[in-house]
Amino acid sequence: MGYVHETHMSQIIPPTAMFGTTGTYTQAAGAVTGTIAFHRAAAASTGVINIPIILPSNSVALKGALLKSIEVDYELLLAVATSITMSLNKVTRGADTAVAVVSAVTVTQDLAAATAAATQDQHKITVTLTTPEWIDNDVYYLLVMTAVCGGTVTVDVLGAVANFTLRV
Amino acid sequence: MGYVHDTAMSQFIPPSLFHRPTGTWTTPAGQVAGTIVEHVAAADQTGLVNIPILIPSCSMASAAHGACLKSIEIDYEVLTADCDALTFVVNKVTRGADTAVAVVAAQTFTQTPTAANALKVDQHKAILTITTPFWIDNDEYVLVEVTVNQALTTTVDFLGAVANFTLRL
Repeated sequence: MGYVHETHMSQIIPPTAMFGTTGTYTQAAGAVTGTIAFHRAAAASTGVINIPIILPSNSVALKGALLKSIEVDYELLLAVATSITMSLNKVTRGADTAVAVVSAVTVTQDLAAATAAATQDQHKITVTLTTPEWIDNDVYYLLVMTAVCGGTVTVDVLGAVANFTLRV
Repeated sequence: MGYVHDTAMSQFIPPSLFHRPTGTWTTPAGQVAGTIVEHVAAADQTGLVNIPILIPSCSMASAAHGACLKSIEIDYEVLTADCDALTFVVNKVTRGADTAVAVVAAQTFTQTPTAANALKVDQHKAILTITTPFWIDNDEYVLVEVTVNQALTTTVDFLGAVANFTLRL
């Protein structure tokens, strides 16, 4: 029996899988014809976009997918934002009759939240786990994009890409 | 050329990919901060949720290649009042050729918790175990259909689902 250990795997996560709270979100055509986007309408408030990380998991330790980093493609239109901050939540699923437990995973983002990540522009931000994690079958991950917005800026998220090692 | 036979594979399916044609549904934050849910508002109604099972398929499924679906777990919460009923169906959809309709076949499974307990106010992790696990052909896909018969004040939050399968490549 063979063995796969591929360290360069990636998975696109389309905007249709994303989940927005605080704000008005719609599915819209992207700013570039032919692209699709999860669009947040202009509103002077803090929008939160959850991006579910849709990767395989495995009940055996050190097998399945080792989550290393996540890239998010987004556009800030019409104005700058106050800040764009990324965080990563690890959700440990509850047994029947028990609640889920959420913990924060330590990550870094390559664009500074209040400056480089917040300009009126097209952005590709990379969020790197300080310690990559093998995904157990009883957990999943939600990348949280917190957009502190003024009254003019709109946000289009085109998609995300999760980078991982596959071992099966 | 290698050969993979991993019997411990799983795939998370987020609630944002669920399909809910009947009932009044929204996508708020979950009861536990940091979670996300598909939420059905309180009403004396029967809502429907279809969960697409997003695992690989293979045109050599008849030769036991690709993904063998073994069980599906669904995380949800019943709030405020028990449902009148909350039931599951596992449907295998065989895609139609051009000009032909799809064909749906219900698959036999066992479930925990029992139907009587699955409708009660609580956090739930339902496990649907396929009686005869099957390899998914490239002309097939699987939908779990959840029928939520609410009492007047019942609300239900779906947090997500996990498909458990064997991967053979």
